[in-house]
Amino acid sequence: METFVQSLVSGVLTGSLYAMIGLGLTVVFGVMRIINLAHGDLVMLGMYGAFWSHVLWRVDPFLSLVIWVPLMFLGGMLLYRFLLRPIVPGGELNTLLYTAGLSLLIANLALFSWTGDYRTIKLPYAITPLRPFGIAVPIPLALAFALAAVITLALYLFLARTDLGRAIRATSQNAEAAALMGIDVERIAMITFGLGSALAGAAGILLAPSLYLYPTVGEILIAKCFVIVVLGGLGSVAGAIAGGILLGLVESLGAVYVSVAYKDTIGFVIFLLVLLFRPSGLFGVGKA
Amino acid sequence: MTRVAIVAVVLILMMAPPLVTTNQFLLHLAITVLLWTLLGASWNLLGGFAGQVSFGHATFFGVGAYATMILYLRLGLAPWYGMALGGAAAVLVSLPIGLICFRLRGPYFSLSTLAVAEIVRLVALNWEALTNGPVGLLITALPPVALGTRGINWESKVPFYCIIAVLAALAMAATWILSRARLGAYLLAIREDEDAAESVGIDTVRAKVLTLALSAFFTGLGGGFYGFYFHYVDPDAVFPIAVSVEMVFIAVVGGLATVIGPVIGAVFLTTIGELFRERFQVGHLIFYGLFMMLVIRYLPEGIWGGARRAWTGRR
Repeated sequence: METFVQSLVSGVLTGSLYAMIGLGLTVVFGVMRIINLAHGDLVMLGMYGAFWSHVLWRVDPFLSLVIWVPLMFLGGMLLYRFLLRPIVPGGELNTLLYTAGLSLLIANLALFSWTGDYRTIKLPYAITPLRPFGIAVPIPLALAFALAAVITLALYLFLARTDLGRAIRATSQNAEAAALMGIDVERIAMITFGLGSALAGAAGILLAPSLYLYPTVGEILIAKCFVIVVLGGLGSVAGAIAGGILLGLVESLGAVYVSVAYKDTIGFVIFLLVLLFRPSGLFGVGKA
Repeated sequence: MTRVAIVAVVLILMMAPPLVTTNQFLLHLAITVLLWTLLGASWNLLGGFAGQVSFGHATFFGVGAYATMILYLRLGLAPWYGMALGGAAAVLVSLPIGLICFRLRGPYFSLSTLAVAEIVRLVALNWEALTNGPVGLLITALPPVALGTRGINWESKVPFYCIIAVLAALAMAATWILSRARLGAYLLAIREDEDAAESVGIDTVRAKVLTLALSAFFTGLGGGFYGFYFHYVDPDAVFPIAVSVEMVFIAVVGGLATVIGPVIGAVFLTTIGELFRERFQVGHLIFYGLFMMLVIRYLPEGIWGGARRAWTGRR
């Protein structure tokens, strides 16, 4: 019983971070119909941001959100404006491959400048976990979970309540109609890409204290990211959250009750089944 | 006439390297280029003609490689039979994959192939009884094969060069035949508008599954060749997403649905990759990624597609 609760808890905690990775991808897909293959590498940049500000300036990784998230937002907008925008009219396949090229470029620039060494962030408060009711909860993971919840709530409120958020949702539903209603679709696309990049960066920062850092970590993250957003329905924000937590649970329960070696396989098998039988996502809210 | 001339020139160029150089590095580079030509051309059969963007072709490459290696190590089956059976194994694997994944369209199809490839990679990594797991399979000696009065010297790179040149030429011939065949026309119709293709009576699933099988066969042959050339396979070498993506890159950089495109894509991308690998300790793919982005930005039809357009535009 205790093992079960323990794996439930760690599943939900990790799942909340998976959800953060999925959010950025799904928001961008919703508005631009771009599957950004470089999304995992943006998460990797966030992880390294947290690492370097910790090593060089002694900034706590969680505090470094304040530095890196606005920078990632800005960087994402520039990336869209100067690199992606000219490609998008060329069609889905070209855009997909362009972001694959971008992914190689970012990952290898990181390899070149930071070497392929595995790194970790050592935090003094990471040594002893909290033990509420006898269940071990690592403090960095708990903090990351809390911050992920706050960021997700903020994103939800932004999309639901502000004019800009409404404009983003309108563009995501029907870009032409949104343009006819006077929304500057190009501007919205740029802001959305910035938002997606900022979310990727934030996810990376939250993950950094709990994972190994290396330049090609994005490859693994992007594969998980697809599973997450398809589980919840591509383009749906609520779906990405549900998908992330579901994947976290499946992995941690699968590792305990099925096999550690095959825990990632279970995720992909569920992914395939959902693609086949519920292509609009488990909750039927995505855009198939 | 120009078309025949181009093909003749390319074929002569393909046969030239072992005659003009004995430099081991150059021969290795030429072998790598031809291997990737074969793989790019195989992917192109499905991706270029039918517009079905598979991100999972590493599966067929890996299955071909492992089948060939296992048949040789366990049963002592010679390379050529092994490679052909590796291709056949890839075809067998492709059938259920096609029947499952072709129920999906567009980006969903691409994502499903990626998922299948990852599942297969994880199985190869964990099924140690068959694949020896992460340790991989190693060939210590190739079988003596009599050729005329002497045996083939497996220490030299020339026999490998000849094998891969023939395989690449076969894949290109298959591309050419497909472009002339009824099936090719079906595939183009599917690429342009799948619903319309279906409404005029094309059995789209059958056409796609057949093409996937053909594409998987050549990819599996490439995998088998890889095993024999490098004497070694492990799951991270033959099953990673990177292999699938590179096949797509080569076909797109060269020019989709063209016969010559994959050669050109492989020449450019492999050369860029290998040259910078020599210079850089790490991160040699920076230029590869950059080159990819520039081609898509400025030559969206690929190098060969762009060149052909410039040529016909001038006349």
